[in-house]
Amino acid sequence: MMKTKLNGIITLLLAFVVQFTFAQEKTISGTVSDETGALPGVSVLIDGTTRGTETDFDGNYNLNANEGDVLIFSFVGMSQVSRTVGMDNTINVTMVSQENTLDEVVVTALGVKREKQALGYAVSTVDSEQLTERADGDIARVLTGKASGVQIQSQNGMSGSGTSVIIRGMNSFSGSNQPLFVVDGVPFSSNTNAQGNFEDGNNGSSRFLDLDPNSIESISVLKGLAAATLYGTQGRNGVILITTKGGSSAAGASKKTDVTLITSLFINEMASLPNYQNEYGGGFDQAFGWFFSNWGPSFEEGGAAGWGNSSSINGTDSGTPGFLRHPYGTASAATGTPQAFPEYADALYEWKPYDGVKDFFRKGIISNININARGSSESGNVTYNVNYGNLSDEGFTPGNKLIRNSFSVGGRAKLSNKFTVNSTLNYTKTSFKTPPVAASYGSNVSGENASIFGNLFYTPRSVDLMGLPYQNPITGESVYYRQNNSIQHPLWTVNNAGNTQETHRVFGNLAAIYEINEHLNLRYQYGIDVYSENNVNFSNKGGKTGSVANRSGVYDTWNNTKTIDDHNFSFSGNYDLSDFFDMNFVLGATSRRDVFNRNGVSSTGQQVFGVQKHFNFAEQDEIEYFEERNILGAYGNVEFGLGGFAFVTLAGRNDWVSNLSEDNRSIFYPSASVSFIPTKLAGLQGSNVLSYLKLRAGYGTSANFPTGYPISSTLNLDTQDFQDGNGNNVITNSTGSQLGNENLKPETIAEFEVGAEARLFRSRLTIDASYYFRTTNDLIVSRPLDPSTGYTTTRTNVGEVENKGWELDLGYDWFRSETAGGFSWSTNVNWFTNEAIVTDLGLDTDIVVYSGFTNLGNAAIKGESISTMIGSAIARDDNGDFRVNAAGSYVEDTGNNIIGDANPDFNLNVSNSISFANFTFGFLFTWVEGGDMYTTTASTLLGRGVINDEGVNRENSFILPGNGPDGQPNTVQINNSTYYFNNVLYGTDELRVYDATVYRLQEVSLSYNLPSRFLDHSPLGGLSITFSGNNLWFDAPNMPKNANFDPNVAGLGVGNGRGFEYLNGPSSRKYGMSIRVTF
Amino acid sequence: MKKIIKLIKLMFLSGAVLLVSCETTNLDLTENPNALTPSQADPDFFLNAIQEDFAREIVEPFGRSGAEVVRIDYMDGRDYANAYSPSNFDTEWRFAYQRIMEDISKMNDLAVDAGLNRHIGMGQVIQAYTLITLVDFFGDVPYSEALHGSDNLNPNADSGESVYAAAIALLDAAIVNFSGEAASNPQHDFFYDNDWEKWTKAANTIKMKAYLASRLVDASAIGNFMNIVDSGNYIASNSDDFQFSWGSNEVAPDTRHPRYSGSYTSTGGEDYMANWFMNEMLTSNDPRRFYYFYRQVANAPGYGADPDEETLECSLYAPPSHYDGYVYCAVEEGYWGRDHGNDNGIPPDGFTRTLAGVYPAGGAFDDSSYHSKKNGDGNGGNGITPVLLSSWTDFWIAELKMKDGDVAGAKASMLDGISKSVSKSTSFAVNDDPNESDNIDNHYTNMGNSFDNASDKMAVISVQYFLASYGNGIDAYNFYRRTGYPKTLQPNIEPNPGGFIRSFPYPANYANTNSNATQKDGVGVQVFWDTNSSSPGFPISN
Repeated sequence: MMKTKLNGIITLLLAFVVQFTFAQEKTISGTVSDETGALPGVSVLIDGTTRGTETDFDGNYNLNANEGDVLIFSFVGMSQVSRTVGMDNTINVTMVSQENTLDEVVVTALGVKREKQALGYAVSTVDSEQLTERADGDIARVLTGKASGVQIQSQNGMSGSGTSVIIRGMNSFSGSNQPLFVVDGVPFSSNTNAQGNFEDGNNGSSRFLDLDPNSIESISVLKGLAAATLYGTQGRNGVILITTKGGSSAAGASKKTDVTLITSLFINEMASLPNYQNEYGGGFDQAFGWFFSNWGPSFEEGGAAGWGNSSSINGTDSGTPGFLRHPYGTASAATGTPQAFPEYADALYEWKPYDGVKDFFRKGIISNININARGSSESGNVTYNVNYGNLSDEGFTPGNKLIRNSFSVGGRAKLSNKFTVNSTLNYTKTSFKTPPVAASYGSNVSGENASIFGNLFYTPRSVDLMGLPYQNPITGESVYYRQNNSIQHPLWTVNNAGNTQETHRVFGNLAAIYEINEHLNLRYQYGIDVYSENNVNFSNKGGKTGSVANRSGVYDTWNNTKTIDDHNFSFSGNYDLSDFFDMNFVLGATSRRDVFNRNGVSSTGQQVFGVQKHFNFAEQDEIEYFEERNILGAYGNVEFGLGGFAFVTLAGRNDWVSNLSEDNRSIFYPSASVSFIPTKLAGLQGSNVLSYLKLRAGYGTSANFPTGYPISSTLNLDTQDFQDGNGNNVITNSTGSQLGNENLKPETIAEFEVGAEARLFRSRLTIDASYYFRTTNDLIVSRPLDPSTGYTTTRTNVGEVENKGWELDLGYDWFRSETAGGFSWSTNVNWFTNEAIVTDLGLDTDIVVYSGFTNLGNAAIKGESISTMIGSAIARDDNGDFRVNAAGSYVEDTGNNIIGDANPDFNLNVSNSISFANFTFGFLFTWVEGGDMYTTTASTLLGRGVINDEGVNRENSFILPGNGPDGQPNTVQINNSTYYFNNVLYGTDELRVYDATVYRLQEVSLSYNLPSRFLDHSPLGGLSITFSGNNLWFDAPNMPKNANFDPNVAGLGVGNGRGFEYLNGPSSRKYGMSIRVTF
Repeated sequence: MKKIIKLIKLMFLSGAVLLVSCETTNLDLTENPNALTPSQADPDFFLNAIQEDFAREIVEPFGRSGAEVVRIDYMDGRDYANAYSPSNFDTEWRFAYQRIMEDISKMNDLAVDAGLNRHIGMGQVIQAYTLITLVDFFGDVPYSEALHGSDNLNPNADSGESVYAAAIALLDAAIVNFSGEAASNPQHDFFYDNDWEKWTKAANTIKMKAYLASRLVDASAIGNFMNIVDSGNYIASNSDDFQFSWGSNEVAPDTRHPRYSGSYTSTGGEDYMANWFMNEMLTSNDPRRFYYFYRQVANAPGYGADPDEETLECSLYAPPSHYDGYVYCAVEEGYWGRDHGNDNGIPPDGFTRTLAGVYPAGGAFDDSSYHSKKNGDGNGGNGITPVLLSSWTDFWIAELKMKDGDVAGAKASMLDGISKSVSKSTSFAVNDDPNESDNIDNHYTNMGNSFDNASDKMAVISVQYFLASYGNGIDAYNFYRRTGYPKTLQPNIEPNPGGFIRSFPYPANYANTNSNATQKDGVGVQVFWDTNSSSPGFPISN
């Protein structure tokens, strides 16, 4: 069935493609005026090109154009006018002041375009200018700072790593808080299929990476529930509505073929390196050792900490002062290193700082090409769009690369028999590869695999990271400086271990609309989204970290196939019942089926070094998982307009879901919203100060259904659990750890929002403010159970979360040019804040740890923020003073203490656009205020002694504030390493938490548009060059200064855990140029 | 209009076909296809898991923690209050209840109907030992309200005393199940290979262990203990030993002794051995030391070799004043371990420090050849986890005889214990040393003389008991809290480590998830059978 459908689509699209038309160029002239007379300085531009002219003092213009071209007339304060060139050679235009024109049109739920003034809820729109020609190929990261209420966080700085998107804060701690992505009207899987958990390594892209930002026409962000009611449960976290260029052709494009080519080249480099100190080298307590730590002697010979005191360096052992014996010569014979490297047997090794970490990284190259062609038939009844994009993004970390190829076709045909059909089809192939990244606590990795960053940033200054051979020439195993070879050389990791993910994806839709009469339409739409994600996790044998299996060599290959089938029927109509009263409605039914199927093989025990084939491994085990879920929905929406100044929308949807028991399967969500525009009332029109004011209010509801199989209890079977005395595998059964809960209900969410939009001072100042208040009830919690119940977890409904926030968008035009090419400067600011408080936990528990480790993670605690972080704290006595033990270190309170709140106080984004002549300069500055972060990177750099804490001399001692065991003020002196190593790095969790405030220069760009006169005799319609950069500068003022740590990292992966980081790597900085050419 | 209606009908009809096709409208997808359903369980498969989980997740880790605090193994932590965090015991707690006891309960549902009495009996022995151990380490723990699933998500703890009584009742029931008929034997019996008389002895021996532990609070305990001794139906010879055997398969599955996996790796040893323990064996010329430990070097820095700031920093330092008279830093003759409480970072000494030996971990026999060892070396992990040994029952009897003033009887029992322990551990490797049997005989004589010459004979018994307890410190930890012996254990490297751990903190996954659970106020809380004076002050070594 699927095959015939695809064939049909392809035939249809071929029909569009042969519709190219070419027309003859001629001279168009005319006069532009407004109600007061001729209008000089009006810009006249041929749409989709940079060719154009301006009206002269008398409002006249001349321009060469083709029949079918669209002329765009624009003038500050006036509404833009577009006219299509037809048979006539004269086009006269009367422009009207902006205040009196219709409002902008935005895309709302189910792709319905509506006037923004009619909406009773907040919608942010981002157009292609803010999305294309960017260094980042990840559409979500490109959105950073561009829509209020939207928080974007990268998992790390690797090209192709996952990205978290949260709109208006978190509603739920067990369900996904990621928004629904809808591309060209159909749901689009934005899952992040991590290749494991955060401890063992969870590399994997977020699947919106399969979209090329350059192929996107516009994005609407539906933030509130009133906006997203029609999406039912899927829309509960907000909706990112993406219209691709292919999809937008459905709206009717220019009649001429219009080709745009964008090519870009960027440099991708690490955004920050710690400010390493270069006074001391590897060791502990000022004594030398081939350790992880850098608390060794100084690089000066003299002084209390000088190397002159160390027999290893002062010539006693090596014969040459200032030199050590080479670590590969002195390594334990059992490592095989001395035998493999006889040349180092008597070699010397200089005691000096080596700056290896800097050289470990590289400058990656990002190249990007996007070609888009669009056009329409002469009649305008058939339109099409074809897009091809290629991205090659080399990460700054060796071994990290992302390659994406995407191809899409879309079109629309208005048939003679009242049918309109439109369709888009996209194919994307995305290849992502990275060295392993996994949690590390500053001493190798914590989980089973390796991590590229796990042993890198705290490389002792005296270790020649880049100069020491990393591979044993005989066995291929990793070799490094530590004398028992228990550190995996980062270069070995790069060359011998990694994760790859190659995704083939097809998505698109087919819609047919039947126009019953001028008032009524029937519409059917089928959407398909299928991807096949091929994952590999491998490590050659001879690694030195992780499990014994990992060291024996591992090769895991598996495929994830995800399918979303979406059917949507709707019946819609609109009636102007009187001059004063109009209404429109839509009724519909929809079904969505999600299937996720994982199959693969996990092999361990590599035989021949370096060969990654399952036959080359001793043992194989299965990898499999299957999940399916169906959602059926029925919806209705009716909107009334009253005299153009008031609008009322009522909507409702019922969902039925397949993985709950029959009683809890169905839920209905109503919503209502109103919009009122006082400035449209007779007495308030025409004010020069307040030209437009809209007040709005909306109420919406939604629900969150659980995923997976929460109501069933299971039994485990393991065919390789143990072996009997003869070496035969023993098969075991064990009870599943999840207690199935038949009574599980969906979470319900209700939101009330109010807002105001205004334009003041001839639209110089625009304001859009929203306040929302949202409660989530019956939260589904994967509640940890006391194992003495017989289970360790159950999914249950508890309590309530209250989520409220403000969003404020301001725009101001500092300078407006009265003429094209004049000086103009506008600033847009968005500020938003969100606070989600657990108001009730219900049942009988006062804390639910929902992410991270059970004793170090995020927890829901009554009265606290949903992103509360818990962990061990410094023990306090009854007066609240710190307790210090007899050794002078803090006493640890190991309970689940609150150690921070990862939720920021506010986000502020400021963008500026300045243009003069043919230059446009813009920048985006972002400010995230507050929010805490548990950082292993910063604490490891301090605890291992490779950076200095600001203003601290490491040869001085510390007396920690607090009271000793006797209750008297502590007087015990401890040295630097005891404080930073034992207390900060490996003491209480509280000491590793810092404020994550960060200021960032997110984007800077400078573009130059080649004046059209240079292009008159070329085939080019326009040419522009843009120089831009991303993340060029940041400052996290409350982090340890010399760590230069970027808190934009999600150590727990894309999920609900926030505020934790386990040496996950730095962020990236990208800069370069792009050229856009139109034909 | 008619045409329109027809068309609408057609569209919706075709839509309806699409909607119902491809399973898109099936709303009953609640069964998890990624696992079996509980109805597909097999009692043999359950029992396989129960046995392995018992050895790996109960006896080994508790045996380890118990040994660490009494210096049989090395403990990392200068501060007793923080040496073991609550989450340290999450895994043990989870396996005790959610796996072992819940699996036993689910197995019994099937086994009762099928008449699989042996399965039930083995489950009862394992459950009894597990419960007693939980009480010994944590005090009051849930039992009567446990394992009720959704009917009780916050089980209350029962008193340690009542859990002990319940465990003894389980053992009595097990003995009945071993003696009667059964529909069939289990698929695998990793302990006794379907020898039900030995299972009965094991059940009786666990009862002895429980009676002995509670002798300070239960006047009838000693009588009950002696009744079993008199019956002779307990673990009295090495062939009766209650132990779990491990294999040598490295991955998929890893069947090696857990301690072997931590000592024999591609980057050398990851565990340290305890200096006090090795020093006791060396100074008494104990023949078992070549089986218990493997020395990778002939001499440790500062103790026969040059001091080394890199691999053994303390080799440069004088012992702290409170270590006067105790072994410090390392032991002579290459026994390179760590002092009690030492929390220093780990230097690159993986190929030089002393490793666990051939007994019980399945490592290498120490033939004084001083090689660095890696995974696969020695016996490859093919060792045992001792649960209850015949040598230990001799020491228990010796303890009671001393209490009764029967010094000669105590000496005989102690020497029996030493003899069984020596013959057991030395059977794990072939020793080419021609003097081996002389050494063993001499040791036996020397120990007898030590006993005779000692003014505090309990001190000799207690040290010898600890030396025999290598591999499982659960009962040694109980003994230490019950008797206060030995009094000569190496102190914590920290002069002021706080009071000794009289019970461990409740596991985090109990204290933090069960609303009826409250974390203890420190590690000084004593379990029900421990009526000795509080710490610090008791036991004397701390």
